[in-house]
Amino acid sequence: MKKIALTGCPNVGKSVIFSRLTGVNVISSNYPGTTVDFTKGTTTIGGEKFELIDVPGTYSLEATSKAEEVARTMLQEGDIVINVVDATHLERNLYLTLETLEMKKPTVVALNLWDDTKHLGIDIDAAKLETLLGVPVVPTCAITGEGIKELASKAHSAEPSKTIELMSEKARWLKVGEIIRDVQVVHHRHHTVGERIADATVKPMTGIPIAILVILFMFLFIIKIGNAIIEYLMDPIFCNYYGPWIVGVVNSFAPSGLLHDILIGTSTVEALDFEQSLGILTTGLYVPFGMVLPFIITFYFMLSVLEDLGYLPRLAILVDTGLHKLGLHGSAIVPTILGCGCNVPGALATRILETKKQRFIAMTLMAISVPCMAQSAMIFAILGRYGLKWIFIVYSTLLVLYILLGLLLKRIVKGESPELLLEIPPYRKPDPVTLLKKTWSKAYEFLAEAVPFVILGIFIVNLLYIFGAVDVLSMVFSPILTTLLGLPEGAIVALMLGVLRKDIAIGMLLPLGMSPQQLTIACIILSTYFPCIATFFVMLHELGVKYMLEATGLMIVVSFSAGMIMRVILIGIS
Amino acid sequence: MRDVNPDGRGVPLTTLLPGERAQIVALGHGSGRQHHFRTMGLMEGKIVKLIATQPARGPFVIDVEGTQIAIGRGMARRILIRKL
Ligand SMILES: Nc1nc2c(ncn2[C@@H]2O[C@H](COP(=O)(O)OP(=O)(O)OP(=O)(O)O)[C@@H](O)[C@H]2O)c(=O)[nH]1
Ligand SMILES: [Mg+2]
Repeated sequence: MKKIALTGCPNVGKSVIFSRLTGVNVISSNYPGTTVDFTKGTTTIGGEKFELIDVPGTYSLEATSKAEEVARTMLQEGDIVINVVDATHLERNLYLTLETLEMKKPTVVALNLWDDTKHLGIDIDAAKLETLLGVPVVPTCAITGEGIKELASKAHSAEPSKTIELMSEKARWLKVGEIIRDVQVVHHRHHTVGERIADATVKPMTGIPIAILVILFMFLFIIKIGNAIIEYLMDPIFCNYYGPWIVGVVNSFAPSGLLHDILIGTSTVEALDFEQSLGILTTGLYVPFGMVLPFIITFYFMLSVLEDLGYLPRLAILVDTGLHKLGLHGSAIVPTILGCGCNVPGALATRILETKKQRFIAMTLMAISVPCMAQSAMIFAILGRYGLKWIFIVYSTLLVLYILLGLLLKRIVKGESPELLLEIPPYRKPDPVTLLKKTWSKAYEFLAEAVPFVILGIFIVNLLYIFGAVDVLSMVFSPILTTLLGLPEGAIVALMLGVLRKDIAIGMLLPLGMSPQQLTIACIILSTYFPCIATFFVMLHELGVKYMLEATGLMIVVSFSAGMIMRVILIGIS
Repeated sequence: MRDVNPDGRGVPLTTLLPGERAQIVALGHGSGRQHHFRTMGLMEGKIVKLIATQPARGPFVIDVEGTQIAIGRGMARRILIRKL
């Protein structure tokens, strides 16, 4: 099967074109650096099957970040190249086009964002461009699909350029200038009202208040709507329909005994208990569906709105100064926000940062102080019943840790922390269908991961109890847990499950009958002491063994120190 | 002409005030960085407009031919411009 590699500058629509051609939904967002790894898919053109590769955007073939290195490597793999060009910024996009054509691979050029050229007053003579480049040039609008069919069929019969030969950097820029003079006319236009409003979001006087409002709104939306979904949808379904039904079904063939306990735990028809019964069909389904999923949906919906709008790079500008103090720069806000959903894509997104030092700091801080949405949802659920105060204490502690550790790591980690250099895309109107699709695909991803692992976790806990291992473990760890941290010794179960997944681990705290103070300490420790297994392996892959060992050591030290300090503050020494 | 050095090489980009426009005279970094700038659209001869600056030595937001770029102050200082 022949391979078609996509290439292009960041944020030009490569991923949308990839999704259109392959039917594989990859994430596209309105900021440079959305794609940080390659994705392969297949597409059929003229009866022949091709493998298509989506890659990170790169301004030129000289990589400046890990994501860009991926792009360059994958380009080498392609037998055919589709070079996606932002038609509204033809000049700076053409440099990469020339570099690509010099590789003498069969190539087609997609003049994407063609729809935008019209209202920006840009006229491009595509036919002339085609002659000058010596390869087919197809105007496209990826979001509506215009031109994509033609692009595909031209790719099928593509040939290497005969007009573009290998040249020096200087000659390339001269050539770009020459081509632009020949094919492009830009009509003068005035600043529109929209652009003025857009500028207000990056000016500090207006931008900072707007950012605070946006974050506050996002937070309230996630919590309020998430809670509403639980109250009006999930709880009624579980308590009124699913619960009585499943208890009845299980009782009909296993009225008591081991199987009964593993399936539905201590739940009975009269006393349905989804949170603490520890059955794989009760707690095992209620945690992912009834407690976490609603917040996953509201979080990813809001995130998608911000992503597609193009707000994230603006936020990066506003937080840049602060993040510099932590050895990072503004762009690190993107992985951090993605990490609030799930640390795995968050850790991968650190590839947009230029140096190893930045990536190490960003990932370590995330693993310690940024709870994923599944974990947050459980924290809301178990601490919320005692009042907002406790939730506030957990998150403030995490924030303080984030800042203190950042200040420290900036000083002790070797390497460089370069300054921010980031292209700010124009605001775009988010497309409702795309928003729903993105939210759905994230919710689906969550369920596909969470349901099996939560069930596995509960199964393991059941086994530990059945074989009496919990008692032994509790005894062994009770000096640390009880004496130092003020927690009941049974919390060891939660700490062990936390390695697997954080949501179910926090759920394990419920049957222990802890005070809000103890729950708060336990939540802080569970957030910080170790990432979940999935995040651990991604970080290991991204950082290498040595760095990962350092990060892990730091996590454990920080977590138990923070736990002990909070114990003294909240419970006192007794 | 207070804003132009005697050798005519221009003044740092950081001397621009929000709303002001200028022409880029030189990129003033090592060749790797210069190359990266050009591929982002920051090129000698282009007209830049300063959109905003952030407090506490934060980054600059500039507009070059319709592309907005956020650039750290240290990097911006070495780019030389001629005010228009
Ligand atoms: N108006 C318009 N918007 C488009 C078009 N193609 C893509 N977009 C939007 O442009 C943004 C960037 O699209 P992506 O597909 O994520 O871009 P990419 O090239 O994969 O970006 P990176 O992965 O960051 O390099 C998204 O918000 C898209 O919805 C188009 O033809 N017209
Ligand atoms: Mg992409």
